[in-house]
Amino acid sequence: MRWRHPVFVCLILALTLDPAASEEAGVSVRDAWIRETPPGMTMMAGYMELRNNTSRPQVLVAASSSGFETVMIHRTIVKDGMAGMVHASQIELTPNASLIFAPGGYHLMLMNPKRTLRAGDPVVINLEFRGGLVLRVAFEVRK
Amino acid sequence: MNKISLKFSILITSVVLAATLAGVWLAEIYREHESRAMLLPDRVITLFPDPKPLTAFALTDHKNRVFDLASLKGKWSFLFFGFTHCPDVCPTTLAVLARARDNIAKNTVGAEDIQFVFISVDPNRDTASKLGQYVDYFDTTFLGVTGDNAQIANLAGQLGAAYQVAITPGIENYPVYHSTAVFLLDPRARYHAVFTPPHDAETISKRFKVVRELEAGNAT
Repeated sequence: MRWRHPVFVCLILALTLDPAASEEAGVSVRDAWIRETPPGMTMMAGYMELRNNTSRPQVLVAASSSGFETVMIHRTIVKDGMAGMVHASQIELTPNASLIFAPGGYHLMLMNPKRTLRAGDPVVINLEFRGGLVLRVAFEVRK
Repeated sequence: MNKISLKFSILITSVVLAATLAGVWLAEIYREHESRAMLLPDRVITLFPDPKPLTAFALTDHKNRVFDLASLKGKWSFLFFGFTHCPDVCPTTLAVLARARDNIAKNTVGAEDIQFVFISVDPNRDTASKLGQYVDYFDTTFLGVTGDNAQIANLAGQLGAAYQVAITPGIENYPVYHSTAVFLLDPRARYHAVFTPPHDAETISKRFKVVRELEAGNAT
């Protein structure tokens, strides 16, 4: 496939110029935090409150951070009396509504931190939305 | 089907079978207690007025000491099943239990006769030293316990604690599914009550105070 094909160039331009994508305040994040873990543990979880301030759905498609080897969007589910995690490939945010990532529900699963993180440490996680919007969010490590 | 995936299928099948048996067992326990079990109106604790005595099991704590039926005697024990690679449910629950312990310790009766035990269902990854580091972080009095799969299944089965370890060859972060309940055993090593999530420290410590007073009343 030729990625420099004019059709693709137009498509990419169109996506980049989409008003929703450039509207930084379209989605806002509050109370972003990561739970401090016992020493030597390689799995952490990040929580936050996402708010879609626009009148159309916004779709969170990925998250990444230079502080971790892998970041995934997960959801804890309880089935047959057992808790387990399922990977959420994307999450749609309802217009003008909030979605909370909280213990026992949606969370960012943060694998293999590059350095030991202690309460008070700041970590930046990039949230990527459909349409190209990327939010750089400062998470705080909390006990 | 190649050798590894065949092995894997057998493992999964046996784990699912074990979980099903645990489920049947649980249903049996509930039936047994049906007329007498009391789910209190707050829906967070179920009390068994005729608690079921546990039978022998043999596990090991994070200091490599034997953890068995005798370890439960003379103390109220709060048991929670999980694994240390668990980023959400386990740390959340252990943090709640650490606060609950603080609350209980502040009480007049104190915390001399209580213990909190985190039982790892993932002995493959959770060594004694790893478990020690893990539980110490939440509360230095917490015990981390694990053992061989048959003995974990033995204790979990007696409490109806469902779990499933989906060990996958070559996958470091294989999934583990586990019960989210906190089991309360009395000083006679009997299954006395169970707390169901969402857990919160205040409710657990308050309900425990009532349970302990009721039991003291029964004993006299």
